[in-house]
Amino acid sequence: MPKLESSQWYDLCRDMNWQFKYVTDAEVFPEALSQSHGVPPTAWWTWDEPYKISYREYVHNQAEKEVGVYSVRSALARSKFFENLDPGWKAAIIAHYGVFAMPEYLATFGEARMGRFGRAAAWRNMAMFGTLDEIRHGQIQFSFPHALLTKEPRFDWAHKAFHTNQWGAIALRHLFDDMLTANDAVSMAIQLTFVIETGFTNLHFLGLAADAMETGDVEFSTLISSIQTDEARHAQQGEPTLRMLIQHGKKAEAQRLIDVMFWRGWRAFALLTGSSMDYYTPLEHRRLSFKEFMLEWIIKQFNDQFRDLGLERPWYWDLFINELDWLHHAFHLGTWFKRRTVWWNPDAGVSMAEREWLEAKYPGWQDRFGTYWHTIAENVRHGHLSLTYPETLVVVCNMCQLPLCSPSVGEPPRMLTHNGRVYTFCSDPCKWIFEQNPARYAGHLSIVDRFVAGQIRPPDMEGVLAYMGLSSGEQGTDAMNYAWAFEQPLRIPAKRSETYGYSPASSSLSR
Amino acid sequence: MATVPLQAAFRGDFAVLLVYVDDQDTMEKVAQKVAYHVILRRLPPQDAPMRVQYENRVLPPEQTVAQAAIPPMSFVQVFYDA
Repeated sequence: MPKLESSQWYDLCRDMNWQFKYVTDAEVFPEALSQSHGVPPTAWWTWDEPYKISYREYVHNQAEKEVGVYSVRSALARSKFFENLDPGWKAAIIAHYGVFAMPEYLATFGEARMGRFGRAAAWRNMAMFGTLDEIRHGQIQFSFPHALLTKEPRFDWAHKAFHTNQWGAIALRHLFDDMLTANDAVSMAIQLTFVIETGFTNLHFLGLAADAMETGDVEFSTLISSIQTDEARHAQQGEPTLRMLIQHGKKAEAQRLIDVMFWRGWRAFALLTGSSMDYYTPLEHRRLSFKEFMLEWIIKQFNDQFRDLGLERPWYWDLFINELDWLHHAFHLGTWFKRRTVWWNPDAGVSMAEREWLEAKYPGWQDRFGTYWHTIAENVRHGHLSLTYPETLVVVCNMCQLPLCSPSVGEPPRMLTHNGRVYTFCSDPCKWIFEQNPARYAGHLSIVDRFVAGQIRPPDMEGVLAYMGLSSGEQGTDAMNYAWAFEQPLRIPAKRSETYGYSPASSSLSR
Repeated sequence: MATVPLQAAFRGDFAVLLVYVDDQDTMEKVAQKVAYHVILRRLPPQDAPMRVQYENRVLPPEQTVAQAAIPPMSFVQVFYDA
């Protein structure tokens, strides 16, 4: 008997929607987990996924992907590919695994929640494939670093990071709890799959895979490419969910969900991808600066989607565009300065040639940031390495949990008193996000709150490192062993060109 | 005598820092404690007095934290009065 074309049976097989007689709709789809936003139950049945696939096809495709990825790994396992990678790139992938492996696993919970509490059978069907995808992405991103443990023990942080109180892990848990593990199905479809996956990570993974190939990291490139093909499929749950809300007069709520997570995603993206693209990737392999990538890929796509859906750009758009010029540079400087608090070796990325590249890509960089690096390089050259480490904490935002940075600190942080507690925010959007739902965020303590509350003992940097789970062998150091600091310095901008006529030891400054 | 944590920035630096002061510290001392974490680390020193700004007011160098009634975790900014 001839097989039918999938288009002839697909809708019939997936449309397992029915009206409940023995239970209420609210019992099957509790608002806390499902969140209808007032869209009638049967209206959701018109939700239609743009990418249709059967389970049989899914398994076939995934099996082929797995064979391909693991074949590459097996072939490379006998080579010296890892030993030959640039130290900055090694830092990028060690950081990557600690940052992404566990959230991919957590995304399994998110996809499964949509697979159960999504209001349409078509959506639930697609989300179940997404659940399987995320299980795969978690497992594969634990497996690959595990195989590299003999070459670099800190690949263990692929699994360890999220189980520690390392500052970045606290920030990422806060973000992913908001986005995934503590989110309802509709909000998650918009915030995870539309904003983060479609908007940020899908394109990021394409670029990352290309960069990996450029640097000779075929294994990582193959892995990321394989993951990206799954992301590109299951990320398409967001758009039909958005259209459903907009069609039923809930555009304002859809816009609010986007505005919240676009900002949160941007802050994390600036920290992770900004440093990787503009500092860790070897200069000769950089194709685009982070800002160029954002403008040409991320922002263009968002603009197209906002226009197609009849949505507005987030209300803080001008502020976001302004931050493209400086935020990730500040985050990178801060991360390098507190390099003992991360599980990889940050690449300063400020050799003379790299500084020229940064100035060309970000006019004014030398004056804004080059001067800090000049002082740091002076300290390295004169053996004052202790001055290149922090002796206190940087204040972090009570929303994004990332450092309060500015190219030139001038205005006070945004502060808010809620139920007698003072909260500090890095920016107006982070404060606005808190104000949208204070009860959701108010109980969280930042790393600085914990220090001030006496939860970190002893109350010094050694106590902080222990609290973060970083033993001396795990703490980061400069990826290039400070070689960049011994190059001939470039001209220093006049406004900060004072020479240092005395030794730090003779300084009268004291704590 | 009580320890007071502050959110402090040195003008020209790139980040806000957690700095502990004593409520009997003068503003001159507060400025030194903030500068310790910034000057010579990321910014060069200047031959000029340092001042402390709190809530849009530049406080007298001899005034103490207690006299200025600065609550814990307030934001202060230190700068060279050049």
